[in-house]
Amino acid sequence: MEKISVQDVTFTYGSEGADVSAPAEPAVENLSLEIEKGSYTAILGANGSGKSTLAKLIDVIEVPDSGRIVVFGKDTSDDSVFWQIRENSACVFQNPDNQIVGTIVEEDVAFGPENLGIKLPELRERVDQALKDVGIYELRLREAASLSGGQKQKLAIAGALAMRPEILILDEATAMLDPRSRDEFLAVCEEMRLKKGLTLITITHDMSEAMRCGRVIVMSKGKKAAEGTPAKIFADISLEQYGLRRPVIIRFAYEIARLAGVTLTEEDLTGEARLREKITKILTSPDLANADIPEESNDKEAKTRRKIMSVKDLFSSYDGGKSFAIKNINLDVYEGEILGIVGESGCGKTTLISHMNSILKPSSGDIEVYPEEGVTLRCSQKKDVQKIRQSVGLVFQYPEYQLFEETVYKDICYGLRKMKLTAEEQKDRAVKAAKSVGLEKDVLRKNPFELSGGQKRRAAMAGVLAMRPKILVLDEPASGLDPVGREEMFALIKSLREQGTTVVIVSHNMDEAAAYCDRIICIRNGEAVTAETPDLLFSDKEKTAKFGIDQPKITKFTSLLKQEILKRLPEVHFERMRFDPEEEARAVYRAVLKAGRKDVK
Amino acid sequence: MLSDISLGKYYKADSILHRTDPRIKTLLYVVYLVVIFMINSPAALGALAGVIVIQVVMAKVRPSVIWKTVKPVLPLSVFILILNILTIKQGDLLFQWKFISITDYGIARAILMAVRLMFLILSTSLMLTLTTTPLKIADALESLFSPLKLIKVPVHEMAMMMSIALRFIPTLIEETDKIMKAQVSRGADYDTGSFINRVKGYLTVLIPLFISSFRRAEELAVAMDARCYKGGEGRTKLNPLKITGTDILVGLFLTACAAGLVVMDLTLR
Repeated sequence: MEKISVQDVTFTYGSEGADVSAPAEPAVENLSLEIEKGSYTAILGANGSGKSTLAKLIDVIEVPDSGRIVVFGKDTSDDSVFWQIRENSACVFQNPDNQIVGTIVEEDVAFGPENLGIKLPELRERVDQALKDVGIYELRLREAASLSGGQKQKLAIAGALAMRPEILILDEATAMLDPRSRDEFLAVCEEMRLKKGLTLITITHDMSEAMRCGRVIVMSKGKKAAEGTPAKIFADISLEQYGLRRPVIIRFAYEIARLAGVTLTEEDLTGEARLREKITKILTSPDLANADIPEESNDKEAKTRRKIMSVKDLFSSYDGGKSFAIKNINLDVYEGEILGIVGESGCGKTTLISHMNSILKPSSGDIEVYPEEGVTLRCSQKKDVQKIRQSVGLVFQYPEYQLFEETVYKDICYGLRKMKLTAEEQKDRAVKAAKSVGLEKDVLRKNPFELSGGQKRRAAMAGVLAMRPKILVLDEPASGLDPVGREEMFALIKSLREQGTTVVIVSHNMDEAAAYCDRIICIRNGEAVTAETPDLLFSDKEKTAKFGIDQPKITKFTSLLKQEILKRLPEVHFERMRFDPEEEARAVYRAVLKAGRKDVK
Repeated sequence: MLSDISLGKYYKADSILHRTDPRIKTLLYVVYLVVIFMINSPAALGALAGVIVIQVVMAKVRPSVIWKTVKPVLPLSVFILILNILTIKQGDLLFQWKFISITDYGIARAILMAVRLMFLILSTSLMLTLTTTPLKIADALESLFSPLKLIKVPVHEMAMMMSIALRFIPTLIEETDKIMKAQVSRGADYDTGSFINRVKGYLTVLIPLFISSFRRAEELAVAMDARCYKGGEGRTKLNPLKITGTDILVGLFLTACAAGLVVMDLTLR
């Protein structure tokens, strides 16, 4: 049987490696694993667990310090077959912009086969075929820079496929895509695997992506921590210690099982349908265990709150009014809430929040900010602009890319210096801001580029928070973080809200938006669809279908589950939807119990 | 903010000039470069403007795009104009006030320099950047300079570096825009204040831009490695350069125009 065989491999990045400041710990240590030809494998692990290094080792971009990697019978340390192995495997990386070499789409696809010395007309045939396979043939003469993120990633697969590899490695290739592009991207890769017998290896943080695979390998600190079928891996409770979380559906199922005192088997976890069947069976069984579940406080209940920002009939155009990036947006933001702005890439989310901070000028309409009772600031008033920028803090996507000072402290103080505060005031605010994002005091003295990814992001956020904004606007605050990092980020956002900041989050992740936001506004093609509480929004099937709003995964799962239960127990009356899987599990359980008790009476 | 600058960007169209072999365009570019700096007489310069209009028509580039190409260079052009007017002392004195003296020759030279700069930008754009993709420019240079390979000049590598630099211009412009917006939201102000302060202000953009460019370069290198890039040897081309009859006609026509301009200038002098 042909396979990729990693045998006791250790690898340390040398001094010429990516991160010179990092201590020279091995990125991969005594790693042994096997991946069979034609299989579909997910490699999971927290940031820095060695996943990407493994990909580079398999693709012979790096060679192990010790141990051996044998790819389909060829040893990667053997110089005579080095190119053969590399030609046989292709990679798609995370950032679409940083892997496009050609200016024009077809020129980029040709880059790989040109390197292999493929001659015309085969070269032309390969390029066309690859473009057709991923469905972007009609874009072949477009400028690559003008494509959307999803299209750029498809271009990257086309570039990989044109080399006719047997192994396709996706190195967090879906991390920067919105859910729809992500599904399309994976569907293309999976189709190619079946059609061309590719060995597909996907390195990911997305647990539901891992559920699509045949096998999962969990990495932790450069070592293999676990491996098996997705069902086996997700049945293993100790996933948290590797910085991972179970998929939401499985978390839901485990909470139901815990309440009912039932154990789930590995087999129950193989596939959504089977899992739903099992849960339905548990919940509808006549001797369902009576669990005492306290009613949960309805903290998402809309209280009468003060309006803090109001977007009025906002239109925005980048081309002087020929077309509008956003059209007729009306939106009120209330003090102390977390408001989610969701929508696909390119729908106008980022444009809208740039207006909130008065970086862009509206074509028509206005935004009013009420930092205090009785004070009204208007974006249209030039004298108010500076005050608005102080009242509304804006943190763009990947804020760590904007750090520039030599110490974290100086960087945090940048905005404060611009506000012309005294040195003492600056220090006080900077230290408090650092504390509020969970940065230790000694970090302040460090160079921002020495910090880890998560810490850098926190430092950048502190720079905005130090200006003491009343409203904090965050563009995709969790992008690029691993599951635990994401949870920590949202915990941080919640704690900022507790401290009195109103938060606006832009996200394309429906699961997180639903779980953490009090209200959600959905933007589609520049138009705002609605601002409602998540349970109202997602329970309105007509509306979600009409506007193409993707439901959170947990909701997709439970709404089918609820239908199943209602078929058998029509008297059950379900509560409003929850979006935290454990909370939703308790709510469902409670609803079934209540109905059951009536039966008994 | 920066997205409406066209300088250095490729303009997609199907025109004679777009289809012309990039080597011919490169050579024509050099010819026009010489012409632009050779001719002096106003009539010849006017005729050159006419030839450039013909080139615009041949390239099927919209006038608005031409305007966007020229716009960013205007301040520099004005600067050169003023500098020349103020510094050239030859010729008849037209105006004098304290240390400022303006001469007729100075004005003529200044206009000539400013006009030359404009023509330079226009012919670079029309012959190369607007009508030729960076990879083709690189191909052309690689092919034109290939004799230098004999004396071990890394022609292919240099061409590749150039094409990648050009490919990343739009990406980096986008990135600069993003960083500027982020710093503006933290109170940065790039439009007011003293010159020194403004230059200092730009450090808040340049430093992150530099760092991200290094990161991009590193990721790109890995991606190129993964796609089996191993230098120029044994590489094939999807669209190999081929000179057709039309290409030769375009080349001859524009060379004739250039020769005509020079002759015109010499006879008028």
